[in-house]
Amino acid sequence: MGALDHPPIVRLPGIPDHVTYTWVVMAILVVMAFVATRRVELVPRGMQNAMEIVLERFLGMLDDVIGHQGRRYLPLIGTLGLFILLANLLGLVPGLVAPTANLNTTAACAIIVFVTYHVIGIGKQGLAGYAKHFMGPVPWLAPLMVPIELVSHLARPLSLSLRLFGNMTGGHILLAVFFFLMGFDGILGWALSGTLGGLMLGAPTELIMILFTVGFLYPLKILVAFLQAFIFIMLSMLYIAAAIEDADHH
Amino acid sequence: MRRSLIFTLMGVLTLPGIAFAQDAAGEAWLKPFAVIAAGLGMALASGLCALGQGRAVASAVDAMARQPGAANRIQTAMIIGLALIESLALYVLVMGVLVLFVKWPA
Repeated sequence: MGALDHPPIVRLPGIPDHVTYTWVVMAILVVMAFVATRRVELVPRGMQNAMEIVLERFLGMLDDVIGHQGRRYLPLIGTLGLFILLANLLGLVPGLVAPTANLNTTAACAIIVFVTYHVIGIGKQGLAGYAKHFMGPVPWLAPLMVPIELVSHLARPLSLSLRLFGNMTGGHILLAVFFFLMGFDGILGWALSGTLGGLMLGAPTELIMILFTVGFLYPLKILVAFLQAFIFIMLSMLYIAAAIEDADHH
Repeated sequence: MRRSLIFTLMGVLTLPGIAFAQDAAGEAWLKPFAVIAAGLGMALASGLCALGQGRAVASAVDAMARQPGAANRIQTAMIIGLALIESLALYVLVMGVLVLFVKWPA
């Protein structure tokens, strides 16, 4: 992995890369929000229009999954969704690093969701009412159900963080290997090395690899960036919905 | 006959790892096993994940053909299901990268 490491173009001394690029994502989001709400008009144009479309999508998803009381959770879901989406997309730019490609960032998001949905559930139904969620459908099954439910609840932040981290890092490793193969240490070096085999076989192979990377791998990574952000917030909404529903309807 | 052949092959491939164990080096004995574990695990995980996702997409497409009106909701459920199945193969990838590239203390 040593040959594949390429540090980002901006690196602050003493601050880890994922923190630096989290600040970059925060700055971009703040600027977008500022531009969108600078002069709010009844008929939206420009950035305000785009943000209203995004807002409508989020509200639609919240209404679908949580119901009419879902709008209360728009700040959490909207922030998480836009942050994770922008952070994923930042990793696609060569020279920048995705903060979500680091387990620290994704674990932070997952722990926020974990703590929040428990707090929401307890706040809505009280501690005793929320504890009934863990006891299963019938009361005499409780000693069996409580450990099972505890483990399944603990697996949720683990899977949330690992899923996002694994997708981003896996895509990053794949792209890094392809760039290495296509670069001066790989096929391009062979094609330019002056040998006949290099020119006849290396150049077309290089062309095919470039086309494959630009035409297939990059769109795939963009799709994965959107998909993983969508999955993260969809699962968060499902956990919140499960926490606030009545224990009888389990 | 084929299964015993596979097991013999796996046993032979682990011999270098056992030879490394004689060294005083801290983590060098782990490398051959790590390579085999990561490669085999990832291959198995990808294959089984593909089977699961194929079934999920097949039922989703069947359901969408039966009820074109519900196609949007079925598609959303299908996407969520695919991502959840995919994450199981992803855990194997994370474990493989962990075992291969982390410097374990002696």
